[in-house]
Amino acid sequence: MKNKYLYIFCLSLLSLGSCSLETEPLTQQTDTNFYKTTNDATAALVGCYDGLQVATGASGIGIPVMTEVMSDDCFGGTGASDGYNYAAIDEFDISRSPADVDLLNLNWIAYYKALYRCNVFLTKMDQIDWKGDTAKRNTYEAETKFIRAYIYFEMVRLWGSVPLLTAPSSENIPQATPDAIYKVIAEDLVFAANNLPSAAYSPDENGHATRWAAKSLLGRVFLFYTGYYGKTDLVGMVTKAQALGHLEDVIASSGHGLVDDFSTLWPAASVDKYAGETNKEVVFSIKYTYTSDYNGNTDGNAWMVMFGMREFSSYPYAHGWGVTVNSKLWKAYSDNDTRRGATVIGIKEENIAFDKINSQREYTGYYNKKYSPMIDENGLELPIKMGSAFWDISQFQDYVAIRYADVLLMAAELGSGSAQTYFDQVRQRAYKASFVSLPVTKDNIMTERHLEFALEGIRYWDLLRQGISVASSTIAETTTLPSGGVPTTKTISAGNIQKTKGLTQIPNTQITLSNGVLKQNAGW
Amino acid sequence: MSINQIKITNIKLTKLLIIMKSNYCIKPTLLQLCMVLLLTVFTMQSGFAQDQSHSVSGNVKSSDDGMGIPGATVTNESTKMSTSTDFDGKFKVDAKSGDVLAISFMGYKTQRITLGSQNSVTISLKNDVADLKEVVVIGYGSAKKALMTNAVTQVSGENLARTNTTNAIQALQGQAPGLQITSTSGQPGENLNVVIRGLGSTSGSGPLYVVDGVQTGDILYLNNSDIESISVLKDAASAAIYGSQASNGVILVTTKKGKRGSAGKITFDQYYGVQSVARKVDLLDATEYATILNEAAVNSGKNPYFTNAQIAAMGKGTNWMDQMLVDNAATQNYSVGVSGGSDSSVYSSSLSYLGQEGVVGGKGLSNYERYNFRFNSEHKLYKDVVTFGENLSFAYVNKNGIGVGNQYNNSLRSAFQATPLLPMYDENGNYFDTTNSTEPWLTGVANPYATMVYNNQNESNTQKLLGNVYLQIEPIKNLTFKTTLGLDYYAGEGHSYSPIYHLSIYANRDFDNVNQNMNKGKTITWDNLLTYKFDAAEDHHLEAMLGTSSINYDGTSMSTTNADSFFDDLDHAWLDTTTNHDGSKISFNGKKEETKRMSYFGRLNYNFKETYLINATFRVDGSSVFSTENQWGYFPSVSAGWVMSNEEFLKDSKVFNFLKLRASWGQVGNQNARAFQYLSTIKSNNTNYIFGDAEGANALVPGSYPDRLSNLDLKWETSEQIDLGFDARFLDNALTVTFDAYQKKNKDWLILAPILATAGADAPYINGGDVTNKGLELSLQYQNKIGEFNYSVSANGAYNQNKVGEIPNADGIIHGLTGELYDNSPEFYRAQNGYPLGYFWGYKTGGVFQNQEQIDSYKSANGVVLQPGAAPGDIIYVNANGDDKIDVNDKTEIGDPNPDFTYGFSLSGSYKAFDFSAMANGVAGNQIVQSYRNQSGAYGNYTSAILDRWHGEGSSNTTPRVTEDNRNFTQFSDLYIHDGDFLRISTVTLGYDFAKMNPGKTFFASQLRLYFSVLNLYTFTKYNGMDPEIGFGSSNNDQKFSSGVDVGFYPRPRTFMLGLNVKL
Repeated sequence: MKNKYLYIFCLSLLSLGSCSLETEPLTQQTDTNFYKTTNDATAALVGCYDGLQVATGASGIGIPVMTEVMSDDCFGGTGASDGYNYAAIDEFDISRSPADVDLLNLNWIAYYKALYRCNVFLTKMDQIDWKGDTAKRNTYEAETKFIRAYIYFEMVRLWGSVPLLTAPSSENIPQATPDAIYKVIAEDLVFAANNLPSAAYSPDENGHATRWAAKSLLGRVFLFYTGYYGKTDLVGMVTKAQALGHLEDVIASSGHGLVDDFSTLWPAASVDKYAGETNKEVVFSIKYTYTSDYNGNTDGNAWMVMFGMREFSSYPYAHGWGVTVNSKLWKAYSDNDTRRGATVIGIKEENIAFDKINSQREYTGYYNKKYSPMIDENGLELPIKMGSAFWDISQFQDYVAIRYADVLLMAAELGSGSAQTYFDQVRQRAYKASFVSLPVTKDNIMTERHLEFALEGIRYWDLLRQGISVASSTIAETTTLPSGGVPTTKTISAGNIQKTKGLTQIPNTQITLSNGVLKQNAGW
Repeated sequence: MSINQIKITNIKLTKLLIIMKSNYCIKPTLLQLCMVLLLTVFTMQSGFAQDQSHSVSGNVKSSDDGMGIPGATVTNESTKMSTSTDFDGKFKVDAKSGDVLAISFMGYKTQRITLGSQNSVTISLKNDVADLKEVVVIGYGSAKKALMTNAVTQVSGENLARTNTTNAIQALQGQAPGLQITSTSGQPGENLNVVIRGLGSTSGSGPLYVVDGVQTGDILYLNNSDIESISVLKDAASAAIYGSQASNGVILVTTKKGKRGSAGKITFDQYYGVQSVARKVDLLDATEYATILNEAAVNSGKNPYFTNAQIAAMGKGTNWMDQMLVDNAATQNYSVGVSGGSDSSVYSSSLSYLGQEGVVGGKGLSNYERYNFRFNSEHKLYKDVVTFGENLSFAYVNKNGIGVGNQYNNSLRSAFQATPLLPMYDENGNYFDTTNSTEPWLTGVANPYATMVYNNQNESNTQKLLGNVYLQIEPIKNLTFKTTLGLDYYAGEGHSYSPIYHLSIYANRDFDNVNQNMNKGKTITWDNLLTYKFDAAEDHHLEAMLGTSSINYDGTSMSTTNADSFFDDLDHAWLDTTTNHDGSKISFNGKKEETKRMSYFGRLNYNFKETYLINATFRVDGSSVFSTENQWGYFPSVSAGWVMSNEEFLKDSKVFNFLKLRASWGQVGNQNARAFQYLSTIKSNNTNYIFGDAEGANALVPGSYPDRLSNLDLKWETSEQIDLGFDARFLDNALTVTFDAYQKKNKDWLILAPILATAGADAPYINGGDVTNKGLELSLQYQNKIGEFNYSVSANGAYNQNKVGEIPNADGIIHGLTGELYDNSPEFYRAQNGYPLGYFWGYKTGGVFQNQEQIDSYKSANGVVLQPGAAPGDIIYVNANGDDKIDVNDKTEIGDPNPDFTYGFSLSGSYKAFDFSAMANGVAGNQIVQSYRNQSGAYGNYTSAILDRWHGEGSSNTTPRVTEDNRNFTQFSDLYIHDGDFLRISTVTLGYDFAKMNPGKTFFASQLRLYFSVLNLYTFTKYNGMDPEIGFGSSNNDQKFSSGVDVGFYPRPRTFMLGLNVKL
């Protein structure tokens, strides 16, 4: 009996060690304690902008670079010993680099991550305590929808049809028709155009999606959709007149305008005279700064370095990876067009002692000046000068997505009553004293758009919306370019562009993960 | 004379002494001791009474370590008088010449000597390997080896110390079958990969370490001289008592304890050695380099860069490998130990210092220093009813090191590819800066030595206090209750300085950086154990154990970097010296983490006549890492044994001295997931946008977003293992054989399986995937003597096969990282269903195209030319899938980093005062990926292997031609694969013990041994890198299944050392 108590005593001793397993993450928010206050809402909105920034600036192939390479203005270029992924993009030919089955996988992932942020935030709108500030709620919702529309518009142009999510989902979703996607884009932009404040342009708002940005983007969407798909209105939601109306509203009420000197739009072209990132011509831009690092900070423009001269700096242009500019672009400008010198770096024309031709593939003698990395007079890369440790991923020049000049030319193209005035405004600035008026015809507008927006990531879409045959015949080319110092034949065939319809490769990883629910685009 | 005859004659006294010696006895031994002393006095006195007798004095030592054996029985067989040895192993007995003395002691073979006329004798007792009392440390206790039913290998502290390695893990290499140990780097103080019975998980296969009952993350902090023994629990049945922590096996470390009733002893051990790289990689010198560059230019359609005259004038150029490596780096160790014990208290304490300088960069850049202090003691109170004790060890480590990670964080790597045409210094004696160089081979190239110096100015120190205090109560015989409070406390700090420098257009820094970081944390363990040993009936022996364990961890860390120090060196690199206020140049982070675990476990042992053995364990583990629904895991095991040699039909066998069959089954778990992975998190750091005109960190606006999907179903990873084996002894117990066959299946991995991008957030951890390891293990040990030459030979080997199954995503693959081998390098390793974990995936090659005709005729079955763009000298890719093109679908398994065989040998012998030992270990059947050169440039240097390249028809069918675009090397193919088989002579030692110089003469010390040792004497291998033992795979924590990747491996040095062991 004595032992019995002893056993009980010992067993109760054993149970002494029991304790609770309750803990919580001490330095991490979770979705159970977020999306409650307006502070949370502000943070969530910035999170959406951050998603847009990563998707367009820091992850995968920079879309402005990619679309320039796809257009007639740039060659893939890059290093003489690099892989041939840029050649595959340039020539619409995956056999140039068959192993690159995932060319745009990182972009694809980053786009959907950004969309997820928007979609989650939009579904949480009702659970946030707005404290009665419906104006704020509407603004936040409209900005979020603008970002969603911007992303879907980029995706639908690149891939044609992609899975469409307007709420978060982990399901295996097949690709939606382009019309279904454009419908969401149109709805979101119309919502944004109607709900964002109607205040005029202010530099402080730069970076935020404004009423004017939404209206301008709607014009661009209208023109691309109706052009590429041969339709007369935007999926039954926006008519040509409505699209023009939005643009006229921007021209009349936004406070945006043209800067006087074209070159001051571009830091490398104007250096000290640069008009700044918040100048009145910027209708919408994606903002970057020099705080990118390899510890997770992704605020920088990681693609601009692709446009830099291969391994060679010459004040004010810094070295980069050498996507080259087609010499045809230089020749497209007349001598008295001030835009030529602001758009293109001419090695010979500017007497640059470029000596890295051995390292450069597809050397043309021309590089992109609008988006060129820069150095100071002492040869120091600007991001480094500003305090970054990474000259390559921490470029900080914003991507100007929509300029006021574009609004003017779009309005002209859509048949504004003031078409000739708008057209002349743009050309007057370009030619200054040499300005001679041209009639505002469709052809003249398209030519002017080429000269005005060259190397800004717009040209390719302008070609594509004139139809595959115009695009393919304009882009196709056979020429001889020095690669690694050795003259090499370069061929871009119209057939490949027609075969792919100008669309790009769906990442193979995503097709595999979807068990074949996602379908590869023709030609890839 | 019958020296070899083993028969214990004086059973009564031996029994008495066994009781005296045993730690399990419950009665005070003072009485017995007094009786023995009285008896001794009595025998001595009676001896004087006999006329012909004289007093013979003697000394009984252990043949292993030369230490005196206290308490050994010395019986004069003629007079039947016995005595026992004192604390130093000395005795006196009355005898006359011709008398036979029998000397016996538990654990040793009994020896008989016939006395001559001498007055003193020295008897050296040999360890009795056949001793059935040998005890093995197991989880929460110990067990008689003869009665063990599990696969446990125990390695003694002496065997570890013999290797003279800086840490116990390295010392274990080659000593236990089924234990594969691989250096992740030869840098002092770096981690080792420890794999027990094959890779079991993608999230790391390191075992659980338990030091004196306290669970801890690694044992690199321990000094070899502090270790009494290490037990490796290999099968699930032995490890299951550690439940959720044990799926990769368990390594139990017992530190040295004092022995009851032994006089205080002082030991001193010391060695000093010099280390140099055993083998250097042969890089091209300037002449060879220029020749190859010319050839690549010509092959690429260009003119050669250099004329023959220019090449002839070049000479050797800079040998960057020589610049990086230092010769005769010091390694040294000093340790002083004190141990002893009275009848009721034992103690053991030590103080040691170890220092090892690195062979890359030397002491300033790569160095490791460790101070250890240990104090263990145990005290019996209240007539042995209460036992109280503690084990405490403290380690203080100073460390600095160079980068030994992937291609972007590996300081040595750049030496492999920097051109020999790059000078070390410019005309002013500064490191050469290529910023303004126009030669293409210098563009963008940075002096690798200077890069290493500029980028590795760091030092850190860590402290670890690990130990426990315990109280054991034995209220009635064989019932014990033990409560143990354990602590694993660590603290560390470090700082680094990144100076301003300019070496090339890519390698430069325009403002300096100072980083300072600190971390600390503790794990508190509270174990309660109840053990009861009883006999249910005669011959039915039972032992039951119940226990609970609660483990709480919390830790904090912080790190801050700022710029613009007003000093420019590491000594002054502390945050207070920095003056910058621009947010862009400041970075900081800090956090706290905590996890909790709670466990209940039990074990039941049953044996019938020590012949039929059954053992069962069960553990229930709860962990805060998982959601409340899945917090608890259940881990059972059962094992059985049959000691056949106890059966009638084998009892008198001349072949088998001992034979036991074993079988076991068990399940264990793994909770290697980071905490709270089941939750969906909101990410706020690094989530910024910038509005308006301003730039830089001060203008960033912080945001937040949901970054990970949740998975509330996340649960334990489990491992299930079956083990069959036998233990046997043959040839009069001289040959010991242990054999095991096992099948281990690790399943429900905690993995990050890729999900569809449309889900929009990072994948949650999920359970899925499994890997099966099947293998055989054999260990042999033979011990014998020829005259005075004692020797022992042991060998062990293990065969293991590793196969992945059922990874639960669409393609059945966990993909490896890209960009690991060279810029833009493709994925080259992966975990995939049906293949070994981390196998190498790439193109098979089929030689080199010798001429255009061969290219034109290399067609698919449909007649399509497969490599139309190739030129003679280009590599032939095998069209593995038989279609009409060479593409990603032709990639296949081209190598396996996991060895088929791992093995070790050791040989030791002693003759009089000399001793000799040699140890070797090796692996076979694995492959290594070697990539030293960045294939994105034309001007990187090559190893001399490139001299075998194709340069004309018939010149080579293995190495393709060189081109400036490196077209034959930008795809990952078997050109990168090398066989990794090696056999390393890891330690050879020759010692001389001055204490044994004159047997019979007393010496002031029981051991004064001087030895000369060579570590890493020679490695037999066909691998052409500096070291074939490459544990490095990936720096990424979710890719821990990768190994065998040589991107510029820091080699293990060869060491010549002199050492001294003193025992007083």
